[in-house]
Amino acid sequence: MRDRTANLASALVVMIVLLLAPCLRAQESEATLSGKVTDASGAIVANAKVSVKNPTTGQTMDVQTDATGTYNLTKLAPGEYEVTASAEGFAAKIEKVTLAAGASLTFNATLSGLPSAPPPQPQAPANNPPNAPSSIKEPSLADLGFASAETKSHLKEQALLDKRTHMLRIHQRLGLITTIPMIASVATSINAGGRHTSNTDRTVHMVLGSATADLYFMTAYFAIRAPRVEGTKSRGPIRFHKAMAWIHGPGMILTPILGAIAYSQKNNGQRVQGMAKAHGPVAIVTAGAFGAALLSVSLRF
Amino acid sequence: MNCESRNVKQIARLVTGSLLLLFLLLPQGLPAAEEQWVLDQCTLSYHVSHPLHQVDGVSHAGRGKGVCHEGQCDFLIAAPVKSFDSGDSNRDLHMLQVTKGAEFPIVTVRTRLPESDAKAATIYADLEIQFAGQTAHYKQVPFQLIPQGSEIKVTGTIPATLSDFKIEAPTLLTLPVKNEIPIHVEMTWHRQ
Repeated sequence: MRDRTANLASALVVMIVLLLAPCLRAQESEATLSGKVTDASGAIVANAKVSVKNPTTGQTMDVQTDATGTYNLTKLAPGEYEVTASAEGFAAKIEKVTLAAGASLTFNATLSGLPSAPPPQPQAPANNPPNAPSSIKEPSLADLGFASAETKSHLKEQALLDKRTHMLRIHQRLGLITTIPMIASVATSINAGGRHTSNTDRTVHMVLGSATADLYFMTAYFAIRAPRVEGTKSRGPIRFHKAMAWIHGPGMILTPILGAIAYSQKNNGQRVQGMAKAHGPVAIVTAGAFGAALLSVSLRF
Repeated sequence: MNCESRNVKQIARLVTGSLLLLFLLLPQGLPAAEEQWVLDQCTLSYHVSHPLHQVDGVSHAGRGKGVCHEGQCDFLIAAPVKSFDSGDSNRDLHMLQVTKGAEFPIVTVRTRLPESDAKAATIYADLEIQFAGQTAHYKQVPFQLIPQGSEIKVTGTIPATLSDFKIEAPTLLTLPVKNEIPIHVEMTWHRQ
């Protein structure tokens, strides 16, 4: 009985191995083709299309080059392939490569500009610029009348946008965090400024107010230092958001100063007097402007 | 001599007749001239959903062309990514950043359709969209065709998603937008 079970188990193992073997072999035999696409001057060509076709099996695969002009095609069956590298404004480069089982082949393509391509027009006629007739079978971006500057990759501008977004994301998060001590300071102001107040209430209010001011200036720093994108005019709710800064910005400077004077007067047993009396109203206006700025970019009115 | 003259006349008539026949038949034998479609007007708009609000970004800067050959038409529609306007410059710059609009400034849509589709009320197009450095394929996307005199108005919605183009979902107040960003298309074409 035990022998039969052992035999059965052995048979099963053999069967599994036999069934899995082709898969494992297929994985081992898969080849990779990678490389870089550049133009005649050696500059990288991002977003170029690299496609491979196996004429025997008809298998095709395509991929685009990344920002560094590189591409990577994996899981290719061994055999002969026709590799085509193409990009807008360049003549397609076609080469034949042979991929051995499990091989990692590098194929770098240098594209040359289309000799028949018309020079980029800075300003095409207004009536029918993009749709001028052409004899090319498949339409291209050049046929549509896009200037080369419009289709060119601007990596520096992208890096600037990335930095801007990163800083404004921190600005947004810090702004949200700032609302917590701000609401708490407004709430504790009731006990801090009345006739019958304790030192503790005032101290709690002062600590919360200080935390609000610290966080606020950190929030403001990330908005002020975020890079500007040239040629962009402020439109929409962001204009209101920025306009509110002219209220809550000075307010956040004035409020702690007036608060410190009021705190000092109260601690000396005096009534809050003079300009220190404006601490409360200034703080309320500041908090209101801050809240309005936050809501203006969060909700659609 | 008379007989020879008659023969020459007969041959001349035969040659003239053959030439006439050839001229009549030749135009059919010549390859058909390429026909082109010209994009007159184009409105592309993406829709973004956020728990707090809905946003539509619209571009009227799309350009397009269709070239027909042997019964098949290749269409290319392209628009600068920065031409999309959502009504807020800050949001547009943020969208430009997440979609890598400076690195890959043009969004392109390519499709191949049979020439006969121009007469249909609804067409189903296989689209290849290049956007944010990625290429996505959409199969059988329905578009409505409305003939308007010599022009054809084409409307439809491409069921695009952020993940199709490996775009990280933008967040507002730490809440991300929905992955679905349907792109509504309204175009007016005319045959040239």
